[in-house]
Amino acid sequence: MTSQLPVAPALPLTSQPLPFPPLHGRAGFSGFPSPAQDYEPRTLDLNVRLIKNPSQTFYLSATGDSMEGWGIFDGDLLVVDRSISPRLGHILVAMLDEEVLIKRYALHHGIPHLCSAHPGYPPLPLEDADCQVWGVVRAVIHEYLR
Amino acid sequence: MYVPLFTSTYDDAYAMIGLVDANNFYVSCERIFQPHLESKAVGVMSNNDGCVIARSAEMKALDIPMGTPAFKLETLRQRGEIHLLSSNYELYGDMSGRLAQLLRDACPDIAPYSIDEMFIYLDGLSDRQCQTLGESLRRRIHRGLGLPVCIGLATTHTLAKLANHAAKKQPQYQGVCLLNGQDALTASLLAQTPVSEVWGVGKRLAERLAIGGIHTAWDLHESDIKQLRKRFSVVLARTALELRGTPCLHMNALDQPRQRIMTSRSFGQSTGVKAEVHDALRRHAQRSAEKLRQQHSLTRAVMLFLNTNRHRRDQPQYFPQALIPLPSPSDDTRVILDAVRQGLEQIYRPRYRFMKAGVMLLDLVDAEQHQLSLLNAPAHHHPLLMATVDDINQRMGQGTIRFGMTDNDAPWQLRCAHRSNRYTTRWDELMKAGTHPGAIAACTSRT
Repeated sequence: MTSQLPVAPALPLTSQPLPFPPLHGRAGFSGFPSPAQDYEPRTLDLNVRLIKNPSQTFYLSATGDSMEGWGIFDGDLLVVDRSISPRLGHILVAMLDEEVLIKRYALHHGIPHLCSAHPGYPPLPLEDADCQVWGVVRAVIHEYLR
Repeated sequence: MYVPLFTSTYDDAYAMIGLVDANNFYVSCERIFQPHLESKAVGVMSNNDGCVIARSAEMKALDIPMGTPAFKLETLRQRGEIHLLSSNYELYGDMSGRLAQLLRDACPDIAPYSIDEMFIYLDGLSDRQCQTLGESLRRRIHRGLGLPVCIGLATTHTLAKLANHAAKKQPQYQGVCLLNGQDALTASLLAQTPVSEVWGVGKRLAERLAIGGIHTAWDLHESDIKQLRKRFSVVLARTALELRGTPCLHMNALDQPRQRIMTSRSFGQSTGVKAEVHDALRRHAQRSAEKLRQQHSLTRAVMLFLNTNRHRRDQPQYFPQALIPLPSPSDDTRVILDAVRQGLEQIYRPRYRFMKAGVMLLDLVDAEQHQLSLLNAPAHHHPLLMATVDDINQRMGQGTIRFGMTDNDAPWQLRCAHRSNRYTTRWDELMKAGTHPGAIAACTSRT
């Protein structure tokens, strides 16, 4: 609805001050611009790659081993974006019976379910579940060296 | 001295001003990361003096007033009827920064007014579009941050505050109320509002106004501006004009005594020099401390913010804020300055050119009430020194006596037995999400 309104676009650099783009290089003291100036790349920034909405992105820690089928291991870092509307196929952080759980939002026999990667936890039909979506998992970070 | 009625004291004129106010902000922040606290009675305690400084609606419904000492609530807590948490300023400060950033991304201009209140400035939109934008912002804030907010929109700061109050108290507005200053809605709302609830009208002034037959905001709205100015003050005349929809009060004039104090100003010229930024913050801190002592209050936390010039798209942008809780409530300029110094250390980054700086004092407490409590022996309280400084500055001009740096590096250790995790600022305190039911409980019992 707001897309029709003339609102200011998001500013590029917001609360994430680092890494700062390098200052334009100058060749020596002469004041001539460096010939490489136009090709100077910005340092690659993981924040930019993994975080699309800084103000609405939260880090959570995954607990338990029954999501390994989807590559989520105990202790992994979840990058959770709350600004995204959940769609089929998304991995969600959801509140079920006062517990905060990781689930996959997927079709099961053609009906939307909250699914787990573990056979011990059968898919929950979304209609029956007393469920509130907390956020959508945008990325999982698994650190091999800590 | 002649003071003109219409001075453009604010930076830009905008067609519509909105006040975004988070409901029960501290409790709401806790509930985002502890969803099981939803619909329970939750109170947040001050750190060292152990009394209630924030309450959920359920707690208010139990008739537990603000300032209730923790020990009086011990039985209720043990019976599990209420949840009491130590204040987690690090979390509240971060969530406040996120709220400001979300609004900054959606609105032409914003100004933080407190930890849980932000003004937004809109332009080029019809009333209807403003209303729609307000409703959409409210939804986005709730979904994206988990914070319930109310939004009041109007042509002036004073009316926006009244609109916000209506949005909060009257369910039919569904959290967003727009007053255009001319319609029947504005008139009926003003008629319902006692004049003492108008921004900038204190209790004592309200009593004087009542003698003159001014009881409601509508009465003030209808009063003769020249008479108001002659019999009361320029500020009151301006307030009346604001109620009519003519903007003439700067946000700084809208302090709510006994709740919060805020001083902010744009720099004459943007600067990236740390010493200059620090100097501006020091001046705002001293001014805020004076206001604090004038109303005989103490502050529990100091918040500061810096803004780069968001209209200069060619320059890198940075809008940091910091929140420093004090070990015990204080009105001592030196304590506040020390907090400002710490806050600046946290947020200052070189190479940004700052345009504006501000200092806010939060969670104020009445000085006399506080000192009556035997538990609160003030650490280094020098009322006489502060009174002398204020007196000299009043007579000789603002800033005659100023404070330099203090070298007092007090250990800012706070008691926080019931503090929740600092979910957004510490890697080792993140919120946990289980891969199956019981996973988190199993993990907690292991450790």
